[in-house]
Amino acid sequence: MNVVAHRNYTSAIAVGRATMDVGIVPLLLLVVVAAMALVEPHFYSTGNILNMVRSASFLAVVACGQALVLIAGGFDLSVGAVIALASVLAAKTMAWIGVAYPDEPGLAIAAGVLAAMASGAGVGLVNGFCVAKLRISGFVATIGTMSVTLGIALILTNGIPVYGLPGSFVQQFGRATWLGLPSTIYAALGAIALLVFVQRRTLLGRYIHAIGGNPEAAIVSGVSVFRYQTSTYVLSGVFAALTGLLLTAQVGSGQASLGGDRMMLQSIAAAVIGGVSLRGGVGRLEIVTLASLFLTVLTNALNLLRIDSRLQPVLLGVILVVAVALDELSRRNSALDSHEPT
Amino acid sequence: MTATNLPELTVQPSATLGKQLQLFVLPIATTALLFGFALVDSRVVSPGNLINILQQTSYLSVFAVAQTIVLITRGLDLALGPTVSMVSVGAALAMTQFLDPSTTSISILLVGLLIGVGLGWLVGLFNGFVVAILRVNPFIATLGSYNIALGIATTLSGGRPVQNVPDVFTNVFYSGSFLGVPAAILFAVVIWVGLHLMLNRTIFGRSLYLIGTNVRAASVAGIPTRRVLMLAYLLCSSLSAIGALMLTARTGSGEPNLGGSLSLQALAAALVGGVSLTGGTGSVGAALLGSVFVTILSNGMNLVQLNGNIQLIVLGTIVIFGVTLDQYRTRHK
Repeated sequence: MNVVAHRNYTSAIAVGRATMDVGIVPLLLLVVVAAMALVEPHFYSTGNILNMVRSASFLAVVACGQALVLIAGGFDLSVGAVIALASVLAAKTMAWIGVAYPDEPGLAIAAGVLAAMASGAGVGLVNGFCVAKLRISGFVATIGTMSVTLGIALILTNGIPVYGLPGSFVQQFGRATWLGLPSTIYAALGAIALLVFVQRRTLLGRYIHAIGGNPEAAIVSGVSVFRYQTSTYVLSGVFAALTGLLLTAQVGSGQASLGGDRMMLQSIAAAVIGGVSLRGGVGRLEIVTLASLFLTVLTNALNLLRIDSRLQPVLLGVILVVAVALDELSRRNSALDSHEPT
Repeated sequence: MTATNLPELTVQPSATLGKQLQLFVLPIATTALLFGFALVDSRVVSPGNLINILQQTSYLSVFAVAQTIVLITRGLDLALGPTVSMVSVGAALAMTQFLDPSTTSISILLVGLLIGVGLGWLVGLFNGFVVAILRVNPFIATLGSYNIALGIATTLSGGRPVQNVPDVFTNVFYSGSFLGVPAAILFAVVIWVGLHLMLNRTIFGRSLYLIGTNVRAASVAGIPTRRVLMLAYLLCSSLSAIGALMLTARTGSGEPNLGGSLSLQALAAALVGGVSLTGGTGSVGAALLGSVFVTILSNGMNLVQLNGNIQLIVLGTIVIFGVTLDQYRTRHK
């Protein structure tokens, strides 16, 4: 009898653990999707669904990079500025090579993509250097690089959009649909799958969790904190640059106004709502991707319901705080249940 | 009653070379900066511009010391800027839309002050509740209230400035003066002195430092940590609200964009001044020095007509440089 009761108890814990792992995000997403079915049929039009998934993939790519940095115990406020710089650099490079070699759009595109990725990796390296070598907190270091990066993007453009992208980059990639889905989705899914693989199956992923979970233990175990912390910032920079490229391809011009504070704040919100702990060591990128989808769907739903766009930040703020407070509460309760020292 | 009767509670550490360096690096850098700009353009050190710098500093310093209070507890307030916007819009609306013209000037002032500071309190209560009671990380808590306050500010105003702020309000908070000292400087000095005394001479002030250094030790020592934390966020938002009223009086309208980048500017000023993000350290003096430095830097860059985008790059570099220096100092103390 006792044994059965105990089994029930442990299985209840297992169920509790599982819901805690996945969090409330899938549930929230279901609620919004179901509620919209009742209220607004336009929500389910093909155009709207494709639109939502496309916007979500922009956010998800940045948020997953951000999540890696957060899991390692850092912060990356520079992602919005990196999106702007990557967009501007890619467009400038493509336009420049496009003029020099008008017959080779492939070359122009490759050079542009390379320039964007290099700028993301460069900013990531500077962030990593400041955090891991100079020991500045990630928050301050990336505030600094955010300002510098945005300044460079603005100087390069003077605030004017950069045109002259190869037509194939915009028509056959940015605005194209492959097998009925926007091309950006494939790019985003590929990138996210790569990151999930890195997080789950590689030494780098293990070390990122180790550093975020307990930096001192990681150092004592001989993990090179400099190398792996810097890797997270570089990955975050490169993924932000990828979003910059995807956005540039869709918009059709390079703009320093892409990304910005809004994308930066939303990437942190998506990561945190997706269960990434700001104390480091905890987080799953699949859930972060779902959380990005949730935030995008929610914004879309609010727009369709004609709720004043000025009021929408209020809701985002409330959801952010409630999601994190619930997470905090459940963690405290489960810690009490299992008598773990906190 | 007299200060001389108080027993000497704190042991003064002997001033080491590092400590002295810490005291002088920033003032020297600030002076060097001022004269550097003066070489390029002599208008930088004209009496008119010096007074101008002093006035600009008094605004920024109010926000920097507000930020410092929560930084000492190992927190931060990202919502400071949007709070300023919300207070500005709310107070201006209250004074212009909801009062009939026959109201006496005293009650106009009272309404502006009450609504303004009241709105600040609301944000402070929210932040304090979420951080101290719900134990949410201060970054997320105030990122939440950042969005909420921003949404309210733009919704209330419809995105447009609220014009026709009453003269009596502008007189008291901006153009008036007492014994020849402009109102803004007067308000700022009162806040500096009051906060300095509070941080150093009251149990509440000292508790802030202990909480920032070690929360567990603080609660074991019998400090009501939740209440003190709540009060810290309340105080930070109230000061931001007063700063917002001062700024509103200067522009003469309630501006939904008034707070724009103020959260980060106030944070940058405090950090450059040597207040630490890891809690337990910070003072009014440090926040003040940082504010003077940032103000002179941006004032000088404007006067020598440096491109605004290059100014962004310089500010970012300075923040990283200032904090690296601070890191170096604390490691070699």
